[in-house]
Parts: sequence; C-alpha cells; structure tokens
Amino acid sequence: MVQQAPRGCLEVEELIPASPDQVALWVCSLVALYGAVRVITEPDTLRKLPFLNVFSFAISGIIALMIPHPLALVAAVAYFVGSTFESNAIASVYAGGMEKGEHRE
Amino acid sequence: MPGAWRRVSTVNEILLWLFGAIAVTGSVYTGISRDPFRKLIAIGLLSGAVMPLLIDRGYVDIAIALSLILPVSTIVVLQLCRKGEP
Repeated sequence: MVQQAPRGCLEVEELIPASPDQVALWVCSLVALYGAVRVITEPDTLRKLPFLNVFSFAISGIIALMIPHPLALVAAVAYFVGSTFESNAIASVYAGGMEKGEHRE
Repeated sequence: MPGAWRRVSTVNEILLWLFGAIAVTGSVYTGISRDPFRKLIAIGLLSGAVMPLLIDRGYVDIAIALSLILPVSTIVVLQLCRKGEP
C-alpha cells in the first residue's frame, strides 16, 4: 500500500522541477533574483534601470506561468507595458528630459 | 512508517518566500536611500515583487489594476523630482 503524503506536503524528489512549465518558472525566478540583486548592489543610479527592466520582464514571465488562467495573460501584458513605461519615464527624467519650449526634430 | 513524510515546501511556496524577501528588501531600500530616483527604482522593485504574491492567491484582477495604477503614481511623483533638485 502506497502511503499518501499529508495535504500540502511533497516528497523531496518532487522539488526537482519535472514539467516544462516549472522549469520555465524556475528560470524566470532566477533571472528576477539576479535583477533584484543587481538593482540593490549597483552603485550608479543610471545603471540600476536596465536591471530594473530585467526584473520586470522576469516578473511578467512569472505572472504568465504561475497560474493557468486566461486573465493572468492580461495581467502579464498589463504589467509588462506598465513597468516598461515606468522605467523609461524614470530614465528620461534622470537624463534631463526635454527642456521647456524645446522642440526636437 | 509514520513520520517518513517530511514537511517540504512546494515550488510555489519557495517562490513566495523569495519574492517576499525581495519586497521587504525593496521597502527597506526605499527607506534608507537618499536619492529620489533611487527611491523610485526601489518602489518599482517593491511593486514588482508584490505581483507574484497576488497572482498566486488568484487575485488576477487586483494585479491588473495595480499594474496599471502604479506606473501612473510613479510618473506623478516624477513631476516633483528633477535632476539637480534633490
């Protein structure tokens, strides 16, 4: 007779990702962790912004992969667009932006 | 034999601990940094780390609303800080 695990418990071997979507989730979370560590440890403020973008892209992948729900894809798209917009707005203001009354061709 | 099953975290549970740690780190970094741009970057880190926690519980609509509202709030705060005016 096979003993059943208690609810919410997994055997140690089941921690090893078996299905392809779990592998993708692990890869996305590793990329997110790397981006977060680089954002925290980077001394230059302008160099933090590409790693904030890396972190946001990884979070978008995690949102899409975490639950099989159609609205999760909408959430991933919304977060992707919103976070890219946010990072680029911060970078644009930090780099000086456009002067008042300036028209660039 | 009883007791052979050890309490081991599932994959999603490990990810939730990871992103909870990232969210706490982002909030602490928001508090201790002096540069307003660094504060905004850390707020972006915090808001990104909160998203998987919401998605895992199934609050997908809250995540959609939050991911549309948070960049708008960041851009409103950006109006207050120009370069050279800390």
